[in-house]
Amino acid sequence: METTNVVTTSQADTKKPAAEKAQARTLDYHALNAMLNLYGANGELQLDKDREAARQYFLQHVNQNTVFFHSLEEKLDYLVEEGYYEAEVLEQYAPAFVKALFEQAYAFKFRFPSFLGAFKYYTSYTLKTFDGKRYLERYEDRVCMVALTLARGEEQLAKSLVDEIITGRFQPATPTFLNCGKQQRGELVSCFLLRIEDNMESIGRSINSALQLSKRGGGVAFLLSNIREAGAPIKRIENQSSGIIPIMKLLEDAFSYANQLGARQGAGAVYLNAHHPDILRFLDTKRENADEKIRIKTLSLGVTIPDITFELAKRNEDMYLFSPYDVERVYGKPFGDISVSEKYHEMVADARIRKQKINARAFFQTLAELQFESGYPYIMFEDTVNRANPIAGRINMSNLCSEILQVNTPTEYDESLNYSKVGQDISCNLGSMNIAKVMDAGDIGTSVDIAIRGLTAVSEMSNLKSVPSIAEGNAKSRAIGLGQMNLHGFLAREHIYYGSEEGLDFTNLYFYCVAFHAIRASNQLAIERGDTFAGFKDSTYASGTFFDKYTDEAWLPKTEKVRGLFERSGIALPTQADWEELKASVMAHGLYNRNLQAVPPTGSISYINHSTSSIHPVAAKIEIRKEGKLGRVYYPAPFLNEENFDYFQDAYEIGPEKIIDTYAEASKHVDQGLSLTLFFPDTATTRDINKAQIHAWRKGIKTLYYIRLRQSALEGTEVEGCVSCTL
Amino acid sequence: MTTTQRLSRVDAVNWNRLQDDKDLEVWNRLTSNFWLPEKVPLSNDIQSWNTLTQQEKQLTIRVFTGLTLLDTIQSSVGAPVLMEDARTPHEEAVYTNIAFMESVHARSYSSIFSTLCTTRDVDDAFRWSEENPTLQAKSELILERYRSDDPLMRKVASVFLESFLFYSGFYLPMYWSSHAKLTNTADLIRLIIRDEAVHGYYIGYKFQQALNEATPERRQQVKDYAYELLLELYDNEVRYTESLYDAVGLTEDVKKFLHYNANKALMNLGFEPLFPSSVTDVDPTIMAALSPSADENHDFFSGSGSSYVIGKAVATEDDDWAF
Repeated sequence: METTNVVTTSQADTKKPAAEKAQARTLDYHALNAMLNLYGANGELQLDKDREAARQYFLQHVNQNTVFFHSLEEKLDYLVEEGYYEAEVLEQYAPAFVKALFEQAYAFKFRFPSFLGAFKYYTSYTLKTFDGKRYLERYEDRVCMVALTLARGEEQLAKSLVDEIITGRFQPATPTFLNCGKQQRGELVSCFLLRIEDNMESIGRSINSALQLSKRGGGVAFLLSNIREAGAPIKRIENQSSGIIPIMKLLEDAFSYANQLGARQGAGAVYLNAHHPDILRFLDTKRENADEKIRIKTLSLGVTIPDITFELAKRNEDMYLFSPYDVERVYGKPFGDISVSEKYHEMVADARIRKQKINARAFFQTLAELQFESGYPYIMFEDTVNRANPIAGRINMSNLCSEILQVNTPTEYDESLNYSKVGQDISCNLGSMNIAKVMDAGDIGTSVDIAIRGLTAVSEMSNLKSVPSIAEGNAKSRAIGLGQMNLHGFLAREHIYYGSEEGLDFTNLYFYCVAFHAIRASNQLAIERGDTFAGFKDSTYASGTFFDKYTDEAWLPKTEKVRGLFERSGIALPTQADWEELKASVMAHGLYNRNLQAVPPTGSISYINHSTSSIHPVAAKIEIRKEGKLGRVYYPAPFLNEENFDYFQDAYEIGPEKIIDTYAEASKHVDQGLSLTLFFPDTATTRDINKAQIHAWRKGIKTLYYIRLRQSALEGTEVEGCVSCTL
Repeated sequence: MTTTQRLSRVDAVNWNRLQDDKDLEVWNRLTSNFWLPEKVPLSNDIQSWNTLTQQEKQLTIRVFTGLTLLDTIQSSVGAPVLMEDARTPHEEAVYTNIAFMESVHARSYSSIFSTLCTTRDVDDAFRWSEENPTLQAKSELILERYRSDDPLMRKVASVFLESFLFYSGFYLPMYWSSHAKLTNTADLIRLIIRDEAVHGYYIGYKFQQALNEATPERRQQVKDYAYELLLELYDNEVRYTESLYDAVGLTEDVKKFLHYNANKALMNLGFEPLFPSSVTDVDPTIMAALSPSADENHDFFSGSGSSYVIGKAVATEDDDWAF
């Protein structure tokens, strides 16, 4: 930040009246930032106050608390010697190259455009002295350390990564961006998904995995569908099992314990099939008046819903819930590995399987009631997900942010709790591209390629020995999840309404391009390394059928506006011939990564990157952000100004349908999932939520994330001049 | 409490025959805002609590103890006496909700205490509250009006309590949360503020209705009494504020906040503001945090936020499932 135009206080004071003087003294950067949420004297948005807050944050706080070094050499030597930086990372390169790389980064003259971006970066990401009091890195330093770590000695890749990250086109996910190059660090991986089997060994191992993975930082999701229900027999003695609730309690406690040790909050989710007999008890843990013994506060819940449930609800019939204990005995495999839609009538007719029934519509209504009260559960449309999955195997769960969708296999244990057969569990390395910046630069092929290489490096560098099934799954799959953000920011800047015909057209074609280049980059990696992910041969990539939808028809802009946007960018849309060529190369050489894309919700990193979150509309023009480490802070929508004001309709105004339609366009080209939050005013009813869910399911949406509600202040109780009350 | 107004018979309350639509509107708002302190993961604040100095901890506990007393008064005395003056049976029902939620608020502070503090510190604070002259004076000033036989002054006292007296206490958690401390506690307090904003507004509305029916002389008399009471409460509140906040240097800003809320309370009664805007310029971080509209975008993994409400359940119909 500039330090030259600081006016000395004595000069400034003489020109100001007394009242103003008093105010000038009290306005620290927090106060300036908060003024975003208050109208100015003429009823205008005070966007300039936020820029001033960012500047004051550096003047009043960051610059004064940053350790000073005379040169880069001195700085790097110190950080390595004192155990802040990993020497191994820097030793892969010649010192002259390292110096040139830092110069490349600094030459960009990066500045944080918002207070929250800067505040979030310095609070949560940058390297600090061990006592936590002083800063050792600037943003440029962090970017270089990430690039040097991920490039693993490849100079050209390191330079490309610096270029993509410092320009904001690519932003690695928090664990990668936070940890790379640091000596004292957690894992680079974002999130984990684990199965639990219906035995005590597996349950015990799960608690252990929750602790180990939370300690290293990262969200963990568990599959509960396989666990026998409350009242099921144990060793054939009836009415013995306590069901899934006590396991949820144990997991919740494990996460909150690990939270106290780690740098990042421990967080977990659990998924349950809608046809599991404990489903209503599962949902009731989030009731406002739930008993303390069964109440679940911090664990996130997800429900997997097969197509059959919708069909039963359509006919207003009852839905049967099946005992996982019996199902596993009849079919010889866990409940989670069964397609309920496929086996439903067979299981209903099978007297060996114990079952209960509830009304299907009442079930959906209960879901919506709980979503009103708590925002949970997430929903995974099980059959949609499996139909769209190019990989052999079954997807039975998602993760903490509901964008990871991968196949898994069970693990078996012997009596000493050792592994008798290591199955494959799921981990995912995430990073997101800034759509506006990618469109502005015009070389989407390179941007995607560098991003895929960066994410693949995270997978290759990870080896989670503490949870062997995760290590096994990662080694075999090298799954990554490339996401996108700043869709709304881009659309609004270009004067396109979110969810309009042009908005949908753009979303479709942008993701179409990303899919092409992502597959091409992974194919290129397979050629370079002479290797493919395990199970490639059984995928629809290998058979070529995956490519049918791209080779059989041409994907072209439907609107002039969107055609113009791509022309202006100089981005060529892949043709059918391009796809034919890519298909041939993939069938011949394979893909290096089993999974390529997943669109995460992007909280923190979109603030640092100055973009709107994910491909959502903005929650508010001036967003109120609350987090444990930050307190309550205010964030203006990127690109927002008086001229494009109208295009920043917020998610509540836009309504669920346009959001779902936008996601449906993107979903066509994304092999995994996309976090999709739905927004409702508090005047909505459970029926409105149900209707949105039905619409989403019909449009081929794979998962639904949170339900968010906005309650407007009762007329007469608003705070005067408060932006969030009236906008 | 007087018993002279006890009804000899009770009519069944019929919500399909409303004398005043506002009753239903407020009832709906209050019931959909129902919450319990168990909703908020207060234990996530333990680490943050441990970063406070002993002095800051003591201040926080005392502030919450003071709030507990006010909530207790409102729940066990305030709302029941207002009930006797109710103009409609629905208004009475709204007061039962208010009475109950005030008990929930009082209960919430204890949840905060049991999560964050040691029993000894809490016992000390309760002893402090019993012995603190300004806190006791404040409660006496209000209770006196509640015990009087002037229904209008009871409402005035109640609005001052809901819209003015609480806020010297609410200041602190808002201050902490804007400095990234005790953010879950602040969420809980924001839920309380969400309720109190509606309570103050509603009681004020009922007051204005009653006042409009009074003679001009009586109106002037009530208005004079109201300003007189406010000034009395204000003087006491300033002393109370000084005794709490002087040690941490926040007194001046809390006073501005008091001015702002005193004006707000007068507005609820339909009276002109007392304090000029030059002394109500509260720190923007506090003002911005105060918004009762719940539309913050919080991080779900560290808190539950203050935006969820009890939904309205409506069954889906065949048309909805037409696919």
